[in-house]
Amino acid sequence: MRVYFRYAFKETFSNLWRNRMMTIAAVLTVAVSLSLVGSALLLKQSAAQASAQWQQGTRVTVWMQPTASSSEINGIRTQLANLPIVKSCVFYTQAQDYKEALQLLPPSESDVLKVTDMPSSFRCIPTVPSDAFVVESTFATQPGVYKVTAPEQQIREMNRAIRILQIVFLALAAVLLLSATVLILNTIRMAIFARRREVSVMKLVGATNWFIRIPYITEGFIQGLLGSIVAMLAVTALHTWYPLHNEFQLNTSALVGTNAVVLIVGVVIGSVGSAIAIRRFLDV
Amino acid sequence: MIRFENVSKTYKNGTSALKDISLDIEKGEFVFLVGASGSGKTTFLRLLLREEHPDQGRILEAGRDIGELPKWRVPYLRRNIGCVFQDFRLLPNKNVFENVAFALEGIGRPRSTVESQVPQILELVGLTDKSKNLPHELSGGEQQRVAVARAFVNRPLILLADEPTGNLDPSNSESIMALLERINRTGTTVVMATHDKALVDRMRRRVVELDKGEMIRDQVRGVYGIDEGVSL
Repeated sequence: MRVYFRYAFKETFSNLWRNRMMTIAAVLTVAVSLSLVGSALLLKQSAAQASAQWQQGTRVTVWMQPTASSSEINGIRTQLANLPIVKSCVFYTQAQDYKEALQLLPPSESDVLKVTDMPSSFRCIPTVPSDAFVVESTFATQPGVYKVTAPEQQIREMNRAIRILQIVFLALAAVLLLSATVLILNTIRMAIFARRREVSVMKLVGATNWFIRIPYITEGFIQGLLGSIVAMLAVTALHTWYPLHNEFQLNTSALVGTNAVVLIVGVVIGSVGSAIAIRRFLDV
Repeated sequence: MIRFENVSKTYKNGTSALKDISLDIEKGEFVFLVGASGSGKTTFLRLLLREEHPDQGRILEAGRDIGELPKWRVPYLRRNIGCVFQDFRLLPNKNVFENVAFALEGIGRPRSTVESQVPQILELVGLTDKSKNLPHELSGGEQQRVAVARAFVNRPLILLADEPTGNLDPSNSESIMALLERINRTGTTVVMATHDKALVDRMRRRVVELDKGEMIRDQVRGVYGIDEGVSL
């Protein structure tokens, strides 16, 4: 067994070295495609996390007409208070909203704004984030209400954009993974072809198929492994530097999970590619 | 040791390589397989290695029907059969020692076996002082001796030789034959396909002659061509 270990080790690395250009090509293709797969997975997770966080703090804002009477305002207040899907509401007077607008708007615009132009508003938190829509449809047409806004819409659009991006990433990755498999298959095929004399002599002296096969499968395995290590570095780099905002920042366990997927896919591609390549040469 | 029972083999392109061959070869026999090119000699040897399957009949080696061996057992069958070819089939990038050792390493023998067996067999074939040479540094006769060493290092029960002297001059042929005889004396069954009339005539061993796939002669102490024996 130890003899075989040494033999397989020697064979594997001399093959890798002999076909180093093809090896590099295969490793890089695996690396690029797996980086895409990993990024797509990270993107998906971080988008899911961010939208969950946004929804947590979802607010529905019921903007009153600047001219709304106090009885109209009180009516809305009572309705909001009695609605079970609304957890809590805070009333912002015209003066408070004006102050907020001054902070948010550039001076050129806020200069022309007057307190009396400002609507007063109810800032409400729905019990369940998705109920924001119900609040919107219920109050938009009430007397004295100017407009009801909920960030739900933006979240949805954002999610759709992320989903499309993800599909593109995964499609690209699938094509690249296929080409990586073919490249590995090809390197192994070349390696076997270069050594067909040895293989035929081995078969002649009675070497078993597994004996002949294992060094080549190990070779594919190592190519896949190297590729996925590069990809894992890329994914980790992405995890560290990409977040635009805290809400996108994923915890370490998500990173570890993604890297595990990348690693497994890489070594499976390598091993399977070489196993396919060698089958044809070993027919007795 | 080897038994053919009504063996026929036709290749896919319609060539009939062997027709209804039945014969017995005892343990320790030395058999010449003679006949023109295309008479089926090589097919005969390939069947023994189970590189081909007979269409009809069965082949027994050491009492076992080799057609019934599962595919994964075939390598183990081959460990009992040594092979020598006309074109030597040495690995050009390995030296003499490594070429012979390859036959043992390829079947997972430990280093200690390799280190004790290979020098022994190299001494038998008289190449101890060339063990570090590469094949292209050797003469044809020496290369064939390496090939014989490789075939025999595993002490197989059967040694198959497909025109082993085909590429050699008479004196080198002579030394190869001496080697095969010596191996035969250890109890190994030797089956040798050949065109070399002088060799066969001189050795006076069993001769099986094939012609277009049919066995036309099986003679205990034969010569190459029977009609030449009577032509005066």
